[in-house]
Amino acid sequence: MNNPFTSTESVKSALSGQKYIPSDELATIVYLAQQLGKPLLTEGPAGVGKTELAKAIAGATGRELIRLQCYEGLDESKALYEWEYSKQLLYTQLLRDKLNDTLGQAASLSEAADRLAREEDVFFSNRFLLQRPLLRAIQCDQPTVLLIEEIDRADAEFEAFLREVLSDFQVSIPELGTLAAKHKPFVVLTSNNTRELSEALKRRCLYLFIDYPTLEAELAVVRLKVPDLNPKLARQAVEFVQRLRTTEMRKSPSISETLDWANALVALNAKNIDKEILDETMSVLLKHEADLQKAKRQLMSPPPPSRPRPDDFGRFSGN
Amino acid sequence: MESRILQLISALRASGVRVSLAESAEAFSAVDLMGIQDREHFRLSLRATLIKDVRDLPVFDKLFPLFFGTGQPPMMGGDLADDLTPEEAQMLADALRQMTENLRQRMERLMSGEQLSRSELEALARMVGLNQSDDLRHQNWMAQRMLRALAFPEVREALKELMEQLAQMGMSSERIQEIRERIQQNMQGLEQQINQFTGERIAENLSDKPPAEGVDGLMNRPFHALSDADKKVLQREVKRLAAALRTRIALRQKRAKSGQLDPKATIRANLKYHGVPMELRHRDRTRKPRIVVICDISTSMRFCSELMLSFLFALQGQVRKTHAFAFIDHLEFISDDFNGSNADEAIASVLLRMPSGHYNTDLGWSLNDFQNAFMDMLNGQTTLILVGDGRNNYNDPRLDIFSTMSRRAVRTIWLNPEPPYMWHGDSDMPKYAPLCTNVLKVSNLSELAAAVDELLSV
Repeated sequence: MNNPFTSTESVKSALSGQKYIPSDELATIVYLAQQLGKPLLTEGPAGVGKTELAKAIAGATGRELIRLQCYEGLDESKALYEWEYSKQLLYTQLLRDKLNDTLGQAASLSEAADRLAREEDVFFSNRFLLQRPLLRAIQCDQPTVLLIEEIDRADAEFEAFLREVLSDFQVSIPELGTLAAKHKPFVVLTSNNTRELSEALKRRCLYLFIDYPTLEAELAVVRLKVPDLNPKLARQAVEFVQRLRTTEMRKSPSISETLDWANALVALNAKNIDKEILDETMSVLLKHEADLQKAKRQLMSPPPPSRPRPDDFGRFSGN
Repeated sequence: MESRILQLISALRASGVRVSLAESAEAFSAVDLMGIQDREHFRLSLRATLIKDVRDLPVFDKLFPLFFGTGQPPMMGGDLADDLTPEEAQMLADALRQMTENLRQRMERLMSGEQLSRSELEALARMVGLNQSDDLRHQNWMAQRMLRALAFPEVREALKELMEQLAQMGMSSERIQEIRERIQQNMQGLEQQINQFTGERIAENLSDKPPAEGVDGLMNRPFHALSDADKKVLQREVKRLAAALRTRIALRQKRAKSGQLDPKATIRANLKYHGVPMELRHRDRTRKPRIVVICDISTSMRFCSELMLSFLFALQGQVRKTHAFAFIDHLEFISDDFNGSNADEAIASVLLRMPSGHYNTDLGWSLNDFQNAFMDMLNGQTTLILVGDGRNNYNDPRLDIFSTMSRRAVRTIWLNPEPPYMWHGDSDMPKYAPLCTNVLKVSNLSELAAAVDELLSV
């Protein structure tokens, strides 16, 4: 397996090859995570490309991406494995004749039970094991990228269970024994910070905070993903979105929404961002009525004097 | 280098960041891997391994340059004497001669553009008592004191005079401007150097500081004996406790599900197995309580109420609905303040709206407010909680309303920081107590945690 992640620079170029524009910081931390074999915990507002990052890593390394979406009430049988009862039942029905053959010759009840016990393994084998994402990531013959999304939505008990998987990369199935990973998967966890994760889980991960991008970075993303939009319009659009983010909103527009909007502008063949176009397309960007009203009010007022743009790292110190 | 990293880690800990042993070991292996040649890589490897919370990032960003420098030396303008013509130098010397001896020395020093030496810095530090300081908020103040010790304000004054003198002597205004800029640049350089030095020194002191008093001690200290600094620690502790309680309560509620067998659901679920009961279904007996909480937030009770509220809102998932009210002399509905996710901010905004003043605490009147507008909130599923000391300033306790309320609610629990033997004077507790299902004494955090646990254990 060739690994394109041999240095920070190569991580950067490999991710860029997947149409993902990484900051220096992101590339360094991704490189560290893969060198140390640690899960990567990414946090940040919704829609800044946390999931995209995992996809890009999978694409860049040529690994399969296995996704596990967390939700309240997610448990081991949904995340790890489950015995396929109905299939087992079906098999016993269909194999009834064979079973009769095997058991029929038994002289006594205990002998029959012994014979049955000898065949037990047939029914508790990989054949009847329904692999869920975690087990699949561990059992896969090729190294994989395991994406565990929105871990903050899962219950605390599930988080505790996950810790075992993430630190040792092995799971115990009572009927089969302990299954260790053939290849350590590259694990990416995402969290929207809706609740505090446990210290123990955080301790096992490297931490990456992805914030809204700077104007230039976002412009680069738009240019890359929506190449049809003319450059002047793209800059105007991104500047507008950045301005929206500085105001208090119930939900600030994310990068994915900027991209949707850019696509909408292309589709409508917009020449300029004027009031008319905005009225028509703003709902792509803002998803709450109150936010829409606010943005429209703000549009009427002149733009604020241009403020100095924070540098690459300055933006973290602000919040 | 290793000891420097360790110092950074202990300074982080002293600033309230939780860094475990495993994480610091991780930081070292990350540094091993990335090397220390590239400053940015070094910074990121430490940050990704040590900091696991957005809120701790600013702390790291503040401390890191104090231990590992800002990356560039302070900007000094350089030696002024290098580019003066002899006549100009003569003029400058003449002008300087007009000043007092002390000022002249300092001025010459500034013109030479030299940085302060280590020993000079140490001497200054001793003079202003920097070595005793272990609070980064003092950094600017300490730096100012050191600059004053270097007579910077006087030098600034003198600089103006010097420029006027030179102008009178006939130096061209552009040259004067250049000289002034050069000197000012040197002053700024020194300011930077001193700022950096004070920051570093305070950060070092911080890392030497013994870790703050264990949380256990704080848990059992009475509310009225807590300081503002303790409060911060406790808020964190409340979050941790709430998380523990949440898990416990969730487990309890989950277990409660496996009570009675639900035949209908079981048959339906097992149709796919030919009616062989492979999966059992149970009646859902989970009954999450609805809570109405009325908190006294007068000065004496504020602390207890505040922690109680953060508890309740941290437990939101385990409670069906919480309606919160606060009162001093009248009642206010405060649940709306908690719609955001951050309980600390919510409490601050409530306290801002109801500042503590010389009110007369009046529960009777507040109960009257409740009766007028909110009585329908109490029903057969509601637990009513009162947090207060029941000291009513001899106002009418309105026992009639209170007994109606406790009759309507399924349970009435009163959390009082005072033990029964203190219920005299203006305390109406003896009158209220018989109407409550339960009166719990809550005078410190561990008692509060126990009370909340009790509350949700039905």
